[in-house]
Amino acid sequence: MNDMTIGAGIEEAGAKESFTLAAGLSTEPVPVDSYISPDFFELERKRVFGRAWLFVGRVDQLPEENSYFVKEIDICKASVLVTRNEAGKVQAFHNVCSHRGNLVVNDDCGTKKRFRCEYHNWTYQNDGALIGVPDQKNFFNLDKKKCGLTPIATGVWEGWIFVNMQREPEISLEEFLGPYGKAYAGVPFGEDHETLVIEARFNANWKLIMDAFAESYHVPAIHPGTLAPGFANPVHNKYARPLSGNTFGLHAAWSAYGNPEYAPPPDSEVERIACKIDTGGLLGSDVNDEVLRLRAHPAINPTKESCWSADVTSIFPNFNIDYSTGGYWTHEFWPLSRDATHWILTIRIPKASSVRHRLQLEHYAARWAEIVLEDVTNCERIQKGLESGAKDVMILQDGEFMIRHMQETLRKWVNAETVADAMK
Amino acid sequence: MTTNRLLPEGFENLEPFVGYWVRDTNNERWKQRSLASMEDIRSFYDAMLARAEDAITHLDKFPLDQMPEDAERLFKLLLAIAHAAMAVEIHGQPRARNAKLRNDLNVTQGPWPFGGVRNGGDHQKTIGNKEVG
Ligand code: FES
Ligand SMILES: [Fe+2]
Repeated sequence: MNDMTIGAGIEEAGAKESFTLAAGLSTEPVPVDSYISPDFFELERKRVFGRAWLFVGRVDQLPEENSYFVKEIDICKASVLVTRNEAGKVQAFHNVCSHRGNLVVNDDCGTKKRFRCEYHNWTYQNDGALIGVPDQKNFFNLDKKKCGLTPIATGVWEGWIFVNMQREPEISLEEFLGPYGKAYAGVPFGEDHETLVIEARFNANWKLIMDAFAESYHVPAIHPGTLAPGFANPVHNKYARPLSGNTFGLHAAWSAYGNPEYAPPPDSEVERIACKIDTGGLLGSDVNDEVLRLRAHPAINPTKESCWSADVTSIFPNFNIDYSTGGYWTHEFWPLSRDATHWILTIRIPKASSVRHRLQLEHYAARWAEIVLEDVTNCERIQKGLESGAKDVMILQDGEFMIRHMQETLRKWVNAETVADAMK
Repeated sequence: MTTNRLLPEGFENLEPFVGYWVRDTNNERWKQRSLASMEDIRSFYDAMLARAEDAITHLDKFPLDQMPEDAERLFKLLLAIAHAAMAVEIHGQPRARNAKLRNDLNVTQGPWPFGGVRNGGDHQKTIGNKEVG
């Protein structure tokens, strides 16, 4: 393997421009109050989650006419019903009955054209219209037209469904996604993928786990066995430095190095058996058509390094889409309270095609579960450390530029009276 | 083709591991391994590794989701070795460093087949899977 193919120069200071400076970010220490302050959390609830566009699901979850699913957004105290009607329109509603406020749909997902509230049997169509009221005559001038389900502003970008909890959003989804939406438009997603989901609830601020995916600096230390061998290289990239880093308005992305010399160690016999087919990146598949199409997109691996393994892209405030050689994965980082988080990691991978392939997927899933465990336990330790009040600031290096960008963006949204101010 | 044997003919030596390691979902296999002692993981790992290629050859005769019961058990046993490998080949201990098993962390949907599907217990639905249902 010659140096040209393995990202020559990433180890040399100054060989690449600073991501932090290029993004116009400060280089000063960053206050840590946003992880521990109850007042800050209340402002996040109102001014960030109450005004930003939030990811709720992918169109695949509405595979046919009259499909629906329910998404609980605890931070907004909202139960959100997302439907697709016969015309294909995707629309979210508050899952709340107009009669006396009961939740209307109590299962997670399915196919239904009509929803009946179980309290007094008021019935709604999947476009929100109220179509049935038992003993209607006993009401006083009931205008059914005014009593539909309350719609929530809904937008779909590249198959990802977003909602905005403001009654009248101050900003459109398109404006909100801004340059990110343009840069990542048309990235090909694999077909016929299946879904692997790992979920964790733990006692730490939601941004701590988000931060853990904003940088690879921690990989050699926290993930020595699970990730480091594939994402660092003792000679060429000892500290797992990113290959590139960019900001896109509110959003940001970095490219992860993948060790091109990685092979299962000689005594990792199960890994050898499982990876006999489809070898390649530690978490990935080999260079198949799907990967080639992905790599051809200008936004993916923007510096076009051959030692690229994944792009981590972060959509403000709490959603990551990560494109990798082995499919793609998403993260939802949902705050439950100031110091409790629900993290949903959804991984889309090719469906098992043989017994050996299925074993490989189990190995992949098992490795991910270990990584998640390593990160979750680590986040709880950070929360403890920060709660002590020992430190007022954190000190970030260049590879951690995305944490800095998030902190600056968040602070703007928290401090701004209007979204227009926050966007300045 | 039904049989009362626990495992297909020729795999009798793995029968002592069936009770503990044959589990229906990815999550259960992961938890079983996380709870086991390193000694138990090691003995399962050694025995199963020696027969892994034979098992793959045997299981390849059937469609992935339509195997006779004895083969299905062998399949699940084979899948468990991926978890044993985390302990033996990666950590050198039953779990990740500094980590305890916890109930608030789950593989709520694993790969098909025998991955397990998320149930109504958790309302934070993400991407649905048309195949498993
Ligand atoms: S609250 Fe829904 S029908 Fe009465
Ligand atoms: Fe991590």
